[in-house]
Amino acid sequence: MFFESIKIMLLGMGTVYLFLTIMIYMTKLMSKLILRYFPEAPKVHAPVSTPKAPVQKTNENAKIAAILGALQHHHQLEQEGKI
Amino acid sequence: MKKLLFALLMMLTFSCLSIASEAVVDTSVEVSTPVTAKTDTPQKSTYREETYQPMDFNEMMVNFYHTTGLHALMEPKKGVLTSHGEPMSDFHQTWGRLIMFGVTFILFYLAIAKGFEPLLLLPIAFGGLLANVPIANMAGPDGFLGIIYHMGIANGLFPLLIFMGVGAMTDFGPLLANPRLALLGGAAQFGIFGTLVGAYALSEFTTIFDFTLQQSAAISIIGGADGPTSIFIASTLAPELLGAIAVASYSYMALVPIIQPPIMRALTTPEERKIRMRTLRHVTKLEKLLFPILVLMLIIFILPDAAPLVGAFALGNFFKETGVVDRLSDTMQHALINIVTIFLGLAVGSKLAADQFLVVDTLAILGLGLLAFSVGTAAGVLMAKLMNLFSDEKINPLIGSAGVSAVPMAARVSQKEGMKSDPSNMLLMHAMGPNVAGVIGSAVAAGVMIALFK
Repeated sequence: MFFESIKIMLLGMGTVYLFLTIMIYMTKLMSKLILRYFPEAPKVHAPVSTPKAPVQKTNENAKIAAILGALQHHHQLEQEGKI
Repeated sequence: MKKLLFALLMMLTFSCLSIASEAVVDTSVEVSTPVTAKTDTPQKSTYREETYQPMDFNEMMVNFYHTTGLHALMEPKKGVLTSHGEPMSDFHQTWGRLIMFGVTFILFYLAIAKGFEPLLLLPIAFGGLLANVPIANMAGPDGFLGIIYHMGIANGLFPLLIFMGVGAMTDFGPLLANPRLALLGGAAQFGIFGTLVGAYALSEFTTIFDFTLQQSAAISIIGGADGPTSIFIASTLAPELLGAIAVASYSYMALVPIIQPPIMRALTTPEERKIRMRTLRHVTKLEKLLFPILVLMLIIFILPDAAPLVGAFALGNFFKETGVVDRLSDTMQHALINIVTIFLGLAVGSKLAADQFLVVDTLAILGLGLLAFSVGTAAGVLMAKLMNLFSDEKINPLIGSAGVSAVPMAARVSQKEGMKSDPSNMLLMHAMGPNVAGVIGSAVAAGVMIALFK
């Protein structure tokens, strides 16, 4: 009866490895097919970069507005002859 | 102060009565056992006769005393039945219960102060406390713990519902990014089968204990470090050992951060522990969506006996990844798994009754469980080293130990140990791959056991 347990061990580990090996190859195959025919990668980059752009723009707008404001103020001071 | 005095007075009367009761014990024993009281009233007519016999006050107090737990704990009776319907020994009625109260208090302490899997250990410990209450018989077939046990453990329902929730919480991304690491999750299952051989050999060739092949299988599944799977298998193959197996399994899962590191350090060199692994690639949504279906299809073709476990797991994961049934997946991840955890804990706790837990087998199960767990950890680490011999892309052997399922505790241990050697080495996501593969691996191992023994 002791050898029963050895047999179960061999069968059990064999099944676990057989299953996982098949699973690994099937997964690799699946990933390959999906990445070739249904790639998602560019879509992932797009949403990451798009929200950044408007933020930068608004920052720049604010900068430009500030510069313009300063210039105007400067002009005003010049016209009033204070400088 | 008055309250204290009153309590003292009550204690005094009770102890006096217990001495006095020795004289009148013959008449009162009958009344105090609920089992005999039930059989004594067979009348079924709507007219109810007066069954209450007038008695003097002293007699009344004595009778009442015989229904107290104090009396039941001090004076064992013949004819008290265990939840299996067998007569209970004197030790299990008296000291056994008191010792089990102590054991549950230790479990409370471990859960609350030390934070050992409190979500499960606390319901289990409280269930154990209730199961050892004398006279009330809560773990029996009519008690509420017994009802919960038959509702979901005896038929294997609760572990599957838990698996559903675990599936809904699992992210297969790290495994999909590097599928070859699944082999580490397979190696860790050697803890199960190695211990099966060990347990059976010890039963066969020594007189330390005597487990059947089924019992050895149910015990060794602790090595899978997967609570629900252990309970599922134990309730199928060896229901009489369920309490000890469940407690051992969950205790060792909680003890992962203590058991694993010494084994991991002993089997690796400092250089190996510093190995850096390549950053995981991005995994698309479609891959994650199709993976549970792929695993389930493989199970259907190779090992349908594991389909309940893997099916429930795949269901939870698929619902989560579809993204269109967030309400259902959210329920599985939180409400459902929480409710089932309460029931599962209490029902497992009901098996902590003294008559089932305070036996020599329990010690053997705790010992074998620890062995299974350690062997699984070692096998995972050694497998990683073996794979490094044949491959250019080196694996840090520390993630091999995460092949025992215990998600995500085992992966965190790998991360922590890795950081001890190289503080900037992030192993967590790499370890999650073998970790979730370990869940699949132990489900497959469980399926093999069921297929062989059912």
